[in-house]
Amino acid sequence: MVNSSVRTDLPTAPGLARSPWTWLLGVLVLLGLVAWVYELGHGLAATGMRDVVSWGMYIFTFAYLVGLSAGGLIVASSSEVFHIEALRPLARLGVLAAAVFSAAAGLMIIPDLGQPIRVLNLFIFPNWTSPLVWDVTIITIYFLFSILELWVMVRRPEKKATLTTLAFIGLPLAVLLHSITAIIFGLQMSRPWWNTALMAPIFVASAILSGTALIVLIAWILQRYNGLRIPAATWRWLAGLMVMALFVDLFFVASDYVTIAWDNIPKDRQVLDLILPGGPYQLTFWFEWVVGGVIPFVILASSKLRAKASNLALAAALILMGVYAFRIELVIPAFVNPLIQLPPGTSLGAVSTSGSFQLIGHYSPTWVEYLITLGLFALTALAISIGYRRLHLGRNIQEAAEHVAD
Amino acid sequence: MARWGMVIDQSKCVGCWTCAVGCKAINDEPLGYWWNRVLTTEPDSSAQVAAPATPAVDVPHGTYPNLELAYLPLACQHCNNAPCEKVCPVGATFRRDDGLILIDYERCIGCRYCVAACPYGVRIFNWGPAKREPNFVIGYGEEYRTGGRLVFEPVRPVGIVEKCTLCVERVDANEQPFCVDVCPVGARVFGDLDDPKSEVSVLVNDEGAEQLLAELGTNPNIFYLPSSHPNKVSD
Ligand code: SF4
Ligand code: SF4
Ligand code: SF4
Repeated sequence: MVNSSVRTDLPTAPGLARSPWTWLLGVLVLLGLVAWVYELGHGLAATGMRDVVSWGMYIFTFAYLVGLSAGGLIVASSSEVFHIEALRPLARLGVLAAAVFSAAAGLMIIPDLGQPIRVLNLFIFPNWTSPLVWDVTIITIYFLFSILELWVMVRRPEKKATLTTLAFIGLPLAVLLHSITAIIFGLQMSRPWWNTALMAPIFVASAILSGTALIVLIAWILQRYNGLRIPAATWRWLAGLMVMALFVDLFFVASDYVTIAWDNIPKDRQVLDLILPGGPYQLTFWFEWVVGGVIPFVILASSKLRAKASNLALAAALILMGVYAFRIELVIPAFVNPLIQLPPGTSLGAVSTSGSFQLIGHYSPTWVEYLITLGLFALTALAISIGYRRLHLGRNIQEAAEHVAD
Repeated sequence: MARWGMVIDQSKCVGCWTCAVGCKAINDEPLGYWWNRVLTTEPDSSAQVAAPATPAVDVPHGTYPNLELAYLPLACQHCNNAPCEKVCPVGATFRRDDGLILIDYERCIGCRYCVAACPYGVRIFNWGPAKREPNFVIGYGEEYRTGGRLVFEPVRPVGIVEKCTLCVERVDANEQPFCVDVCPVGARVFGDLDDPKSEVSVLVNDEGAEQLLAELGTNPNIFYLPSSHPNKVSD
């Protein structure tokens, strides 16, 4: 919060412990844990998922978190690889975000498992035809790599050659991470909505988009509440990255829509109709294309509007909502109309008032899913706050910023 | 080595659900779980085509007087190129050399990737503790292992996936799957697809039994004789 002891950015733990921000996050983490304990006791019946829509909030949030981990490493690596001096102040923060968000993505999978206690089976009995195994592997590598890079940046900043090498490895690693996460979905012919070669490019673009937006939002919060001064040149680069990524991302998504609409193959068309205006999932469309699409695009494209950091932060926040909507749009509608959709429908794995079959899938998350997801976001924010202080990132950002010409 | 398969004759099926209920009984499927179910469809239609005309069972498709009705009994297709097996991150879903796709209840981590990957919608997850009314175990009643792996037990753990086992414990004991035994009109034929003289092979090779969603290349060991098929074989 705004208070002078925070402004000086002293790495004192008590300062952190006194902050109401920390307390709020702590309570949210705790509530998430309580919800998880409840879920462990009741099984995944405590969630809104059932057969038919068998993946829900955990999985679309997982995909979202993976995406958020991208921006940091891309910002950090770009400053090295493409010699973008203006991005250098945010390099350490970026790598910290990459580490924290990739860990969070991995954690998000745990409450989604029916048998979380068996999670180590992933490492004991890996089945290498499964994209999930590739993804677990790449997330683990990506996380360890971020930690290593952060360590070198903070502890061995004089090792310039090592840092450059790491930056060169970081970029392809990020691309690989998002492509493999996309492939979890993209390879499934049972879900026409996912089964497109565009899936990996879309994931890479939306990861760069949401990841950069996240860095913008954090940087703005630091400037606004912690009194850091981020150079105008840095803002310009971030704005440029966002607008490019936004354009490319929506271009890919639109290409997909057009292909489906023109082909008009019933099983593909059925899903598109769910999300287009008028369909039951149209909210995700409006968020993706207007709230997180047109509006931030206008802000970022107008040289007058984008000159103000607070406008960039607004655009970033809207983009983050838009990309989250995209993840929902990706996961849920894919399940709503199973390939074989004949009466009485698919066995639910539960008895409900409407019987034990469902012809058209329904899903709405329960309080358990909301609390666990929120708790994980809070844990992530807490980890970033702690890392920021422990690693004296504020001081480092300030020092690096002095070398950036406005 | 045999390759076990089944042919379901839609021209004989009367949509009575005996196979579905029999399956439920022999395998102790709790309330709300159907490893096997009988769908209402149109004769000779690909099930992949769009939304059904009516959400109800036993109601013909189409507009009067052009009404059509057929039944599609559906359980695991025991695919030779099984997406569920390929996506399972821990190899809990595995294919036995005789073509049976089975789930190792002790290894499954409950990620439900297989549920997303199966094109036929036949996998069922144990969302919560099973409910049975009356609450006692019926059917086969014991655990069953193949190659040391637990592929059947009467009460399945919460948080794992289950589905039709092609009645592995009966097949291994030289019996037919239960749904084949209980079908009142003999619409189900079970046998070895690798033996060209077996009844299933004849139905597939000479009588034109077809795979469901064959265009996906999952290559199931379950075949269907369309409802237009003139009941030749077992009159
Ligand atoms: S029908 Fe589904 S569950 Fe059965 S083998 Fe094929 S993909 Fe697997
Ligand atoms: S739910 Fe179980 S059987 Fe299915 S893919 Fe996951 S681990 Fe394998
Ligand atoms: S083969 Fe056995 S498990 Fe499979 S549907 Fe028939 S009765 Fe059920």
